[in-house]
Amino acid sequence: MPHLNTPSRRTVRPFVLSSTIIALLLILVAARGASASEQPISFANDIMPLFTKAGCNVGVCHAKAGGGQNGFQLSLYGFEPQEDYDHLVKEGRGRRVSFAAPEQSLLLRKASGELPHGGGIRLDPSSESYNLLREWIRQGAPYQREQDATLIAFEVQPARMTIARQGEQQLTALAHYSDGRVRDVTRLALYESNDRDMAAVTDFGLVKILGASGNVAVMVRYQGKVAVFSASAPLGAPVDAMPVAKNFVDEHVFGNLRKLGIPPSSLCDDETFLRRVTLDIGGRLPTEEEAAAFLADASSDKRDRLIENLLRSPDYADYFANKWTALLKNRRDDASDIVANFAFHAWVRDSLLANKPYDQFVRELLAATGTVIGNPPVAWYKRVVEPKQQLEDVAQLFLGVRVQCAQCHHHPFERWSQDDYYSLSAFFTQVGRKPSGTRGEDLIFHKRGIATAVNIKTGAPKKPAALGDAVGDISADEDPRLRLADWMSNPNNPFFAKALVNRYWKHFFHRGLIEPEDDIRDTNPPTNPELLAALEQHFIASGFDLKELVRVITSSQAYQLSAVPNEFNVSDRQNYSRYYPRRLQAEVLLDAIDYVTSASTDFPSLPPGTRAVALPDNSYNRSSPFLRVFGRPEGESVCECERVQSSSLAQSLHLINAPDIKAKLAFPNGRAERLAKEDLPAETKVRSLYQAAFSREPRADELKTALDFLAEIPLDAAGQPVDAQRAARENFQDLVWALINTKEFLFNH
Amino acid sequence: MVSTVHLRVLTLAVVVWLGLAPVLVAQSVCLPAPRLLTTMPMGGRAGAQVEVKITGENLEDVEQLAFSDARIAASSKPNAMGQPIPNEYIVTIAPDCPPGVYEARVMTRLGLSSSRVFSVSKLTEVNQKQPNTSLAMAMELPLNSICNGVASAKGIDHYVFEGRKGQRVIVDCATRGIDSKLDAVVVIGDAAGRDLLVERRGGALDFTVPEDGRYVIKVHDLTFKGGPAFFYRLGLWELPGDAPLVRQPSTQPVNSFSWPPAGLSEQPAVSETEPNNLPTQPQKISLPCDIAGSFFPAADVDLFEFEAQQGEEWWVEVASERLGRPTDPAILVQRVGNAGAGEALTDVAELSDIPSPVKVSSNGYAYDGPPYNAGSSDILGKLTIQESGVHRLRLSDLFGGTRSDPRNIYRLVIRKAAPDFALVAWALHMELRNGDRNALSKPIALRGGSTMALEVVVARRDGFDGEIDFMMEGFPDGVTAQGLKIPAGQSRGLILVTAHQEAPRSLANATIYGRAEIGGVTVTRPCRLASMAWPVPDSWGEIPSPRLLADMAVSVSGLEFAPITIAPSVSGVHEVVEGEQLKIPLMLIRRSEFSGAAMQLKTAGAGFERAPAFDVSLTADTSQAVFDLATLKAPPGDYLIGLYGSAVAKYRHRPDLIAAAEEARIAAEQEVKALEAEAQKLAEESSTASAESLPGIQMAAEMIAARQKAAVAALAAAADQVKKANDASQPKDIVDIVVSEPIAIRVKPAEKK
Repeated sequence: MPHLNTPSRRTVRPFVLSSTIIALLLILVAARGASASEQPISFANDIMPLFTKAGCNVGVCHAKAGGGQNGFQLSLYGFEPQEDYDHLVKEGRGRRVSFAAPEQSLLLRKASGELPHGGGIRLDPSSESYNLLREWIRQGAPYQREQDATLIAFEVQPARMTIARQGEQQLTALAHYSDGRVRDVTRLALYESNDRDMAAVTDFGLVKILGASGNVAVMVRYQGKVAVFSASAPLGAPVDAMPVAKNFVDEHVFGNLRKLGIPPSSLCDDETFLRRVTLDIGGRLPTEEEAAAFLADASSDKRDRLIENLLRSPDYADYFANKWTALLKNRRDDASDIVANFAFHAWVRDSLLANKPYDQFVRELLAATGTVIGNPPVAWYKRVVEPKQQLEDVAQLFLGVRVQCAQCHHHPFERWSQDDYYSLSAFFTQVGRKPSGTRGEDLIFHKRGIATAVNIKTGAPKKPAALGDAVGDISADEDPRLRLADWMSNPNNPFFAKALVNRYWKHFFHRGLIEPEDDIRDTNPPTNPELLAALEQHFIASGFDLKELVRVITSSQAYQLSAVPNEFNVSDRQNYSRYYPRRLQAEVLLDAIDYVTSASTDFPSLPPGTRAVALPDNSYNRSSPFLRVFGRPEGESVCECERVQSSSLAQSLHLINAPDIKAKLAFPNGRAERLAKEDLPAETKVRSLYQAAFSREPRADELKTALDFLAEIPLDAAGQPVDAQRAARENFQDLVWALINTKEFLFNH
Repeated sequence: MVSTVHLRVLTLAVVVWLGLAPVLVAQSVCLPAPRLLTTMPMGGRAGAQVEVKITGENLEDVEQLAFSDARIAASSKPNAMGQPIPNEYIVTIAPDCPPGVYEARVMTRLGLSSSRVFSVSKLTEVNQKQPNTSLAMAMELPLNSICNGVASAKGIDHYVFEGRKGQRVIVDCATRGIDSKLDAVVVIGDAAGRDLLVERRGGALDFTVPEDGRYVIKVHDLTFKGGPAFFYRLGLWELPGDAPLVRQPSTQPVNSFSWPPAGLSEQPAVSETEPNNLPTQPQKISLPCDIAGSFFPAADVDLFEFEAQQGEEWWVEVASERLGRPTDPAILVQRVGNAGAGEALTDVAELSDIPSPVKVSSNGYAYDGPPYNAGSSDILGKLTIQESGVHRLRLSDLFGGTRSDPRNIYRLVIRKAAPDFALVAWALHMELRNGDRNALSKPIALRGGSTMALEVVVARRDGFDGEIDFMMEGFPDGVTAQGLKIPAGQSRGLILVTAHQEAPRSLANATIYGRAEIGGVTVTRPCRLASMAWPVPDSWGEIPSPRLLADMAVSVSGLEFAPITIAPSVSGVHEVVEGEQLKIPLMLIRRSEFSGAAMQLKTAGAGFERAPAFDVSLTADTSQAVFDLATLKAPPGDYLIGLYGSAVAKYRHRPDLIAAAEEARIAAEQEVKALEAEAQKLAEESSTASAESLPGIQMAAEMIAARQKAAVAALAAAADQVKKANDASQPKDIVDIVVSEPIAIRVKPAEKK
């Protein structure tokens, strides 16, 4: 089950024998109606949906890989009805069905609980479902007749509507057959909300909008087909005072807010903006000098100029290289990986510094050839060795598509088939390797030959095709990976630019327009489709210019809204009516603490003063409990979710009491010691400390509290007041400690 | 019981490991060889005098610093007293010495050292002023200069220069090409040190100054390693806008020995003309041809079309990697036929790498071949035309899919067979103990009585398959070299260089040629010598960096001798009748103790390599080699063989120094005693001396006291020297290759009955 191994918030949940489903089965009245005994029953059209609705063919039950349960195997969600039919009717010499005495069929006796069944009672003998199954067996358990219609389309009605908060809407699921028949399968379809905080949906398709406002989608599945119901739940508050739109981002964000009736928070002040954008682009706190200069600047374009400055700085390259190298699995598993890892990290970092177009960056990575030293993106092929892993990583990271499921079966929520999977893997089948002088490292080259991958299910050879798109014939001499890169950078590609802008949007707004950011599919629509489309177009039109994307996002008024909610938008989590605060990530926080304490963290083999955001690979996590506790990823997954952004008790305890934090507070010639020694008024010192930590002046009450505290004389172990110098040093250490433990410090807000 | 067995096995493993570990640690590989490792600076300007400091391994009693070109000369740097300062020289570079890389070596007690590159430039040369590892400490670097520097571990060297807006500035850091271990990262930053342009793959930075002002150059190792081996020559010069960028000179990789083919003109006849990427736009050529082109831009494909007739045989050669480019050329030749409206393509030949003539060491743990690769990712192959008609040749770079670098040039030659060969040699490496993967720089610095083996490998061209014999010249007095020829159809031979016991201390430049009959003509070709830039005792942990040397320096120590000499007891040719048994008495001259009672010898030399290995005693003075010609089936003729193996000598470093040191210590001790006696005498005199003479005695006593102090210090130093000499001469287990002197054999035809 590849999707169970993929870190994701959307993994398939273990099957739970829920009372709802039992109840459902016990009372199930098949929509097929009372004519069952009169009409021939089709296994594919009538029987399979029963198994799917009952949960018999989920991954933890009879669709478990490697034999199902107790020798009886069904295909996942019934994607292979012919195989299921064979398992059910022909396997085990037909012991599962008894044509002579249908009630004695093992299938019915187990499902009804007459015989012990690990999955419990699934069918009440008095239910219509039971009757339908029995009747089907009585008819000789036919697969289907030649003239039987096949399912060709599936829809949900309504497809889109506005629902008031706390309002409800019953969905209707309709199956369209090849003979023109339309069948109501509402009670047989499966439903899932993409935001359970916003909308709940029952097993029978009743949608209920909960407290929050915004856009939500419900995915409806039936027999391998999917449909989506999109709901908009407006708040309806007055939205008269909307900030003036500065660019298209604002037009779409504010347009959506106007539609939903959610008034945005006001714009943030300069201090907040400086700190926010420096953290988001440069991965660091602003320096005191930067803060002083920015706050003193009276020009109207100073925010834009600040953004330009940050984009030009190596800090931007370091910070985003840190993001990309983790996703590209720059892991150190062996000491000898160091050269490859440093070279690869540097290639990413230098590419960002030079603002290499994103499509070129991806092309150089996925079609890399040569040696690691000569061409560092080759290191990706050292980390990601198997073609299937290569295609899965490329699809998830660069296309936002999770195709892992389709390796073994049709993707349950998507249109991707196994043919699509192997056609995509075919692009990577001509990657040749030759040993190099370095242990564990290969030279990568294009191996002449016609790229072909074999569908392990059907045995059919598949030529390269990109998620269903034909890319033309590829000669034996052409590296198919280049054709894949061409396809990606085509302006009409529906995935490539979308996946990137959504990923970057999330970086700055802390929530993707599509969540998770790398699970883009028809059944998981964006919360603001127009905005996503506009960002995508802008990115393509700019020539895949990453800095321009950052520029357009951060210069928008939407990005510059305050994090402080108003009376209406406090519960908004998806419409960007205010800035959503987020804890600083591990590396940024460590650098920030180093800055405020004027300490530095020594990393093995790196020059003193190297910042944590500039670390080339995961190996430094081993020597830094701080980075581990605050969730720095190990580069094991292409999913950003590997980075732990949640808070924990361990983090609090670490900040309060860990030896490394204590050492930083007492760092020789650190900020606390310097402040204690400096011959300046205490108030000046407190102001400078606040500038360093929060990029702002202290409020009057904060200043008074700090000054009162600094005036205290601590007692030593014997209860005696300590000398003035020690008192000053310890008091400043405590004051710095208090500031770095505030939420204002720990969060970007 | 399973767990008990498991425990026993584990215990046994631990015992074995514990038992072996000290042996492995105690035993080192290869007898001490003199190695020049660093010079500071690493070069100088033509016409200048440069003060150079050197460091190295086993550099005892260094006499002279010698160069591979007579236009570079060195003399010892004198101190204020006119005495030479150890390891410091004044190097004079003649004004007419062309810019380039040259070999520098020092003559030591053990002979001439391994080489270190010494560069000659036409720019101002400066030396790094350390420390400069921060922006605040950045060193000022004038334009049009070269700075000789050394990277420190975890350090970033900072330099600053003044730039004018629009000026084109080149920053080129020579490292691997001048024998450095540095994988340089070179950054140009603004005045605040913020990165503007970065180069990490050994390329040069071509920088157009955006604004008038100060700019920072940062230099460090890719993984922030550092130390004396991580030296660099940082060049900074102005270049007119459209002038081509010429890099600092660099050494040649080993595989470039096979390029160019003899007689190839310097300039190719034809240049590749773009566009020629599509089947509709091939470049028309006629055979034979000689074309210069480039794999540019990314994923460039060059198509050439020519007419050829059935049965024609052509040889296709491409050089690109051997020109120093990181490329992997590939050729596909197809016949273009007609298929209705379109064309029908038939594959005729697919050509890619030139395999190494001998198996190269893999990157696994065990030693499984020489650590030198004479092969290349270039192309050399035969094209046989199957059917007359138009043929299309597709040339591409298998590494070039995404790289757009106009420097990735190639030369394509298609010719009628011109059978030929090229030779390269290197000091023989072999497995000296389990898993040994040493890749050592081995200067041809001979101990008296030693025979050193050079492995010679041939790159055969255009179907030449004949045997290759060797000729030598220029070896020093008392040194002979004989070649164990490369048999027909094979790729490897040996050259045995023997210094006779009485060979005088000397050095010379030698030359080796290969000689073969090709088409009835005797052809001779020079043999290039390759060596490791550094001694790498464990290539598992460090990738060795071999290169071609500019010359072949051979020297004799005259002061140290081989631990063992194995030679036939009787000189001359050993005759044997075909099919009979040949017994060759051997004499073993031992000058050292050995670990173990016997060593195993194998036989090298065409016709005798299949002879079974045999043991010779390491305690006896004679032995014999026995060859069964019936088994070997060596046909009548003349043969030359060598016997080789390895032995662990109990090497003692200069035991002669002990006696000299002891003598010096005794002298120092006597001096102390004499001064003590003198002081005593003065003390006695002072007790009876008059008041007037007391000041004089006092003064004399003070002088004696001062001399006493110095004498005590001298005694301590002398005692220390004795201890050092004693320690150094303690026997140390060193395993090394042992090769016999060459043995000539004549197999006579059996008499027909």
